[in-house]
Amino acid sequence: MYNPVFSLKNVWFSYLGRFPALSGVDIDIKSGQKVSIIGANGSGKSTLLHLLDGLIFADSGEVNFFGMKLGEESFNDNEFSIDFRRKVGFVFQNPDVQLFCPTVKEDIVFGPLQLGLPKNQIQSRLEKLVFTLGIRDLLERSPNQLSIGEKRKVALASTLIIGPDILILDEPTAGLDPLTTRHIIDLLIDENISGKTIITSTHDLHIVGEVSDIVYVFGADKKIARFGDADDILNDTHLLAANNLVHIHSHRHKDKIHIHPHAHLDHHTEEHQNEKR
Amino acid sequence: MKRKSRNNGFVERSLSGVLSFLKNSLYAEEYASRRGFMQSLDQRIKTLSFILFIVAILLTKDILIVLALYLLCLFLAYISKIDLGFFLKRTWVFIPLFSLFIAFPALFSNFTPGEELFSFKAAGLALVITRPGVLSVLLFVLRVAAMVSFSVLLSITTRHFDLLKVLRIFGIPQAFVMIMGICYRYIYLFIGIIENTYFAIKSRVGTYMHYKKGQQVVGWNIAFLWVRSCRLNEEVYKAMLSRGYSGEPMVLDDFKVRWKDWLWLAFTGVTVICIIRFFR
Repeated sequence: MYNPVFSLKNVWFSYLGRFPALSGVDIDIKSGQKVSIIGANGSGKSTLLHLLDGLIFADSGEVNFFGMKLGEESFNDNEFSIDFRRKVGFVFQNPDVQLFCPTVKEDIVFGPLQLGLPKNQIQSRLEKLVFTLGIRDLLERSPNQLSIGEKRKVALASTLIIGPDILILDEPTAGLDPLTTRHIIDLLIDENISGKTIITSTHDLHIVGEVSDIVYVFGADKKIARFGDADDILNDTHLLAANNLVHIHSHRHKDKIHIHPHAHLDHHTEEHQNEKR
Repeated sequence: MKRKSRNNGFVERSLSGVLSFLKNSLYAEEYASRRGFMQSLDQRIKTLSFILFIVAILLTKDILIVLALYLLCLFLAYISKIDLGFFLKRTWVFIPLFSLFIAFPALFSNFTPGEELFSFKAAGLALVITRPGVLSVLLFVLRVAAMVSFSVLLSITTRHFDLLKVLRIFGIPQAFVMIMGICYRYIYLFIGIIENTYFAIKSRVGTYMHYKKGQQVVGWNIAFLWVRSCRLNEEVYKAMLSRGYSGEPMVLDDFKVRWKDWLWLAFTGVTVICIIRFFR
């Protein structure tokens, strides 16, 4: 019988039992898929990712990992816990949360050391990652001395070094310059080609097309407003506008004022070029 | 009006003073990253050797030996590419001068009787400075200065987180060392938050703020930081769990002891044993 990596059935979650964050969510994520979760601020994206990583647990409904129910009691089993943490890697939205060690090197090797990976394996993975991400010069530095782009790369390295099959990323490109964004997206695509499942939460619609086979749109009511193929979702400006993912943009070309929905997508510049012609 | 501005300045000066003190003490790792002699030694061996020197300073009563050790410390600072002016300022200001102030009465015959060196009258009292008095004050102040110098040299030639890791050789539990490391890491973050909050307030209210309002703002900031630190605490713990932390931290031990370290330890050991054996 085929088991998806994650299967969520009617999942509800609230903070302090009073502030709802997820209201009846159903999701199936298959192995090797690229999945994006998009939605406005406070729509429950981060909460969902924390649930998938077993950091918080649903109030009601079911979260299954390869057909096995994911609950607090499952993590009491040390063997399961280590196996899960080796398979699922999570890159936090705020890299300052993830980089808690005094040096970059200690931060990167923290995960594999906790999970009992052999030291020579850790060393060879570290060498490979610092080369791929171009962060060799940062190893002996303190995370405080890094730029936001460098912090994100180090946070990514600290997760990738574990060698997870499933990579969960919470807004991996927020606040990054275009070049660093490109670098991270290329890396995620490579990881997906090598067989990893990539789950990304974002409201940067630029990257959604590249990092998604399936897109889930979360609404203000903390439910899935719609899900489907990335192209279908990105072309549905009405859906995106209704969920605060695009806005009405007005600007002037010579003497003419243009008003149209603005989704911060690549085709936006193309439209303007066509208008000029 | 003058009084108001003075009070306002007090809040501002206190804030910027505390921040610059924290920044200077935390960010001052410039010397630790230089390629000098002390920086090249293994941190554990270096710490052990400095402790041995401090023990020798404590045990010897020979003022010349203490002076020799102090000069050795200055020489070590020099070959570790430490600016001597900076080093002397850092080591002599406050603690040795304060110890001189404490030891000052011991100069006089009332506390240390002995051979008279110099006498004078002050406020109708005949005061006599004695030779043993001068020697004991000199020994005390020199001891304090030498010990402070060795401690400062250790702290400025070693990165702070390496010093934390060295605590492990004294049997301090790994969890404690790790918590200290995390605290150290996040002090930076909070310094940044405090500074930015202060600038945000300044940009909205200008340079003048009534001192009562200033006190309120400081109070709010303390509360705000408390809430932030609680939230951060939860999130960092989640980030640790996510990477497999299960209550027993494992850390990378990348200290390397080379022949140079053993040679240095041997030199220190022999010197300290000779001092204790012959000059105690």
